[in-house]
Amino acid sequence: MAVSTSSQHLTARSPGPPLGRNEAIWGYIFIAAPLIGFIVFAAGPLIASLFLSFTEWDLLTAPEWVGTRNWAQVLALSVNELPRAFNEDGEALFECGREDVPESQLAEFQGQIDPRTRQPYVCTPAYVRPRDVLPRGYDAWFEFHLLGRQYIVGARDAVMWESIFNTVYLLLAIPISLVISLALAMALNQHIHGKNWFRTIYYLPTILPIAATALIWMWIFNPDYGLLNYALQGLGAPPSLSNVNWLQNRETVKPALMIMGIWGGLGYQMVIFLAGLQSIPRHLYEAAEIDGAGAWARFWNVTWPGLTPTTFFLLITSLIGGFQNFVQPYIMTAGGPYNASRTMVMNIWANAFRDLQMGYASAQAWLLGAIIILITVLNFTLARRWVFYEA
Amino acid sequence: MATLERTQETAAGPRGFGKHQQEIIYRLIAYIVLSAGAITMLLPFFWMLSTSFKPERGIFVMPPQWIPDPFILDNYIKVWSQTDLPRAFANSAFIAITSTVGEIFVSTMAGFAFARLRFPGRRAFFGLLLVTMMIPGVVTMIPAFILFRFLNWIDTWNPLIIPLLFGSAYAVFMCRQFFMTLPVELEDAAKVDGANFFQIYWHIFMPQAKPIVATLLVLGIIARWNDFLGPLIYIRSVEKFPIPLMLARLNSLYERNWTLLMAGSVIALAPVIVLFFALQRYFVESIALTGIKG
Repeated sequence: MAVSTSSQHLTARSPGPPLGRNEAIWGYIFIAAPLIGFIVFAAGPLIASLFLSFTEWDLLTAPEWVGTRNWAQVLALSVNELPRAFNEDGEALFECGREDVPESQLAEFQGQIDPRTRQPYVCTPAYVRPRDVLPRGYDAWFEFHLLGRQYIVGARDAVMWESIFNTVYLLLAIPISLVISLALAMALNQHIHGKNWFRTIYYLPTILPIAATALIWMWIFNPDYGLLNYALQGLGAPPSLSNVNWLQNRETVKPALMIMGIWGGLGYQMVIFLAGLQSIPRHLYEAAEIDGAGAWARFWNVTWPGLTPTTFFLLITSLIGGFQNFVQPYIMTAGGPYNASRTMVMNIWANAFRDLQMGYASAQAWLLGAIIILITVLNFTLARRWVFYEA
Repeated sequence: MATLERTQETAAGPRGFGKHQQEIIYRLIAYIVLSAGAITMLLPFFWMLSTSFKPERGIFVMPPQWIPDPFILDNYIKVWSQTDLPRAFANSAFIAITSTVGEIFVSTMAGFAFARLRFPGRRAFFGLLLVTMMIPGVVTMIPAFILFRFLNWIDTWNPLIIPLLFGSAYAVFMCRQFFMTLPVELEDAAKVDGANFFQIYWHIFMPQAKPIVATLLVLGIIARWNDFLGPLIYIRSVEKFPIPLMLARLNSLYERNWTLLMAGSVIALAPVIVLFFALQRYFVESIALTGIKG
């Protein structure tokens, strides 16, 4: 008996009567709630949403099986060449300002002043209207020029594709934010007085409710009395840069959201980078110094390889978070102007809970889920090439 | 400390003087960069605070006043007495505390089981739980809404509280990691005494678990206090709104009334900032516990 008890202590408590049988029962009791929660609130909904994506359901009438129609609607893209526009006489047309001008009369416009804009006319080749080229049910998404030809990309749901574009555009803040936070972490990793204070200040915005910080930034971005325009004026910026309605302008709304996003996420990345820096063994730097490595060489050969797992972790978590961007543009711009800041989650939310298209929104949700999972897997695969885990 | 020792060492060396100077320059650059950055980070908060103490016409004064003159409390009085913000504040506090306390109770139990008890399927079940952490919330958002609608939970706080009473994968994971680190001998004495496993969990492990409980409490309460999408989907009646929804509502009701809105923002931020400063070391702890290592 004495032998069996001591072995039970030393080995990892092998199951044996009487406590052992109890142990399994208690184990199941203890994990029962999270397991039920997992089935009811995670696995169940996950499978249900896949099923829903093949139905049409407005919550008021019974769901209707529609096969792959939602998915076709989500994914359908069409690339068509836009032919040049000609007039009845077969002459190629140009657009000068808002006028359609045949080639023969082009000389009359060039160099003249457009009364609408009070600028000289700019004449560009005119193309036929996108809707004459695109298949039925497709809306224009964007045009591009390639090898002397004009193309139009159409989509069944152009607004959704625009929201994908916006979401990806806003992700550009991630590399910027990573570079800044790494620089700050390296500065903080020296013998600095008030280290904790700096860390606290940078970390603070990351824990605050976005609903509140978004209001602060709306006030900062205010075109008339906002802090940003005032500061830009103070720095001597021209009115084109300091009299901007940041959140109501298609060109500036995304950079404005990115600025606030960087401010709000920087501290987390900096703290994680700092932890990464502190785990790089001191002796590696000393060895590099003995070898005569300068500051840049030390960064490139010691710091950066030591930090790749940290960078990798931050990249994945930031991408996953970035793809689910919602609250900030919802409060600050409601997706506008003209959908220029509508994100994927905002589009899914609007389709599901405003338009009550549960099936169609589920297909989009799965598309977004698939993108996130794909990025995670891709990151892991590519990471093998550049992430150095300490041997 | 290490840097300091090193500078003294190199300063004593033959080529020490140049090195020492270099170190000082680096550190000077670091101070300048960090201070400039810190001021930039804090400016929005100063701007918010300063605006919140101004009379409404005060915001039109150019150049902007950083120290408001006159300095008034009217905005706070108005936002607290004439809007539904106090009720939203109480709602948020109730939701955040009940859901987080429940989450922690259940999650510490499960974490204890995964770390300390042996039972068939333990690894597989734990693996399942880890998978939950990777499912993006947006994928389950729509069916969860349909489920809660079926249960007649729309426009109640149930969807915001009850799922958390089943624990959360993240909290279970953190608790398991924590309980794994405690010494093996801990439960043996109790087992000999004939205590059952709930007693072992409650009387022996929970008193040791204060750091992880505090960490989860801070992280949980802040996450729920800040949550916007959940309440936006499930809550319809204004009297049930939590703080973030109420701020969005005030923003549309009192558009351009920045002095009032900034006072509202200060009230929404204050509890988080207080909690953060009071329990700051547990934040650092949480970063170490999630296993992030360079």
